[in-house]
Amino acid sequence: MKKHSFLQSIVKSAKGFLYITPMLLSVILLVGLFEVFITRDIMTSIFNGNPFHDTLIGTLVGGVSVGQPIVSYIIGGELRDSGVSMYAVTAFILSWVTLGIVQLPLEYKLFGKRFTVQRNLLSFIFAIIVAVLIVQTLKLLA
Amino acid sequence: MNKTTASSPKISGKYFLPAVLLLYLFLYIMMPDNAIDAFLKSWKILIKLLPILTTVVILLGLFNYFFNTKQLSRYLGKDSGMRAWFIAVAGGILSHGPSYIWYPMLSELRKQGARDGLLVAFIYVRAIKLPLIPIMIDYFGWQFTIILAFYLIIAGVIQGLFVDFLRSNSL
Repeated sequence: MKKHSFLQSIVKSAKGFLYITPMLLSVILLVGLFEVFITRDIMTSIFNGNPFHDTLIGTLVGGVSVGQPIVSYIIGGELRDSGVSMYAVTAFILSWVTLGIVQLPLEYKLFGKRFTVQRNLLSFIFAIIVAVLIVQTLKLLA
Repeated sequence: MNKTTASSPKISGKYFLPAVLLLYLFLYIMMPDNAIDAFLKSWKILIKLLPILTTVVILLGLFNYFFNTKQLSRYLGKDSGMRAWFIAVAGGILSHGPSYIWYPMLSELRKQGARDGLLVAFIYVRAIKLPLIPIMIDYFGWQFTIILAFYLIIAGVIQGLFVDFLRSNSL
């Protein structure tokens, strides 16, 4: 009896996923497009050496980028080695994971406009705040 | 408004998916190699995500089986306390794969009464990737990695509290 209920729970959960499968597939297809068309060279070419400009750009570029977080570490390392400030590099790494333009349609569909706008706006602002805090703390400890 | 959208049983993406496929078709005509490359990358991502998707489906099933709405809202709802924050932060840190894979489960928990603030904290602290910590240390040093993790947890909880504050003021 209980086993049957558990199976029903799994089936219910799987059905829930089936409803969002087209949206999930869309997001995955968009991720593939971004990985091919937004290249590493395009990303690194937008930084100009100004910490304020670069931090903002780092957050924006990280926010529109998709892929494994490890890729953000590699690009972040390259940016740092080419003279981009750690504020920008940190903001870039943070927004890579916490923001995601590609997943916005799914987030909007499942959680609604208010949640999606508030969460992404907060993630954007906090990517900059946390980046500044991290670099300042590192300077204090140095 | 939001709740209606979130609890709707309608198929999500039934217009968006054809639009994305049309975009692929357009790109295939213009740049066939890139379009095929993008499609193959997406295919690889999908295959890679299947085990995580299965895990999420089972987890959600387990949630539904072991907890009823009343219990869940006691643990994660309006009146839940420190323990709820701990669950959200620990869950966010321990969960694998991209955030959007976890959205259906979070959406289901939300329908059952979980606070928005907890979901926000969960999604934010997912920036801490336990398996990637050695690589981050290698690139940026252990000090950077520890400080980043510390501030991410604080920032996740602050954002969650802020969203809950907005909700309690109907914003």
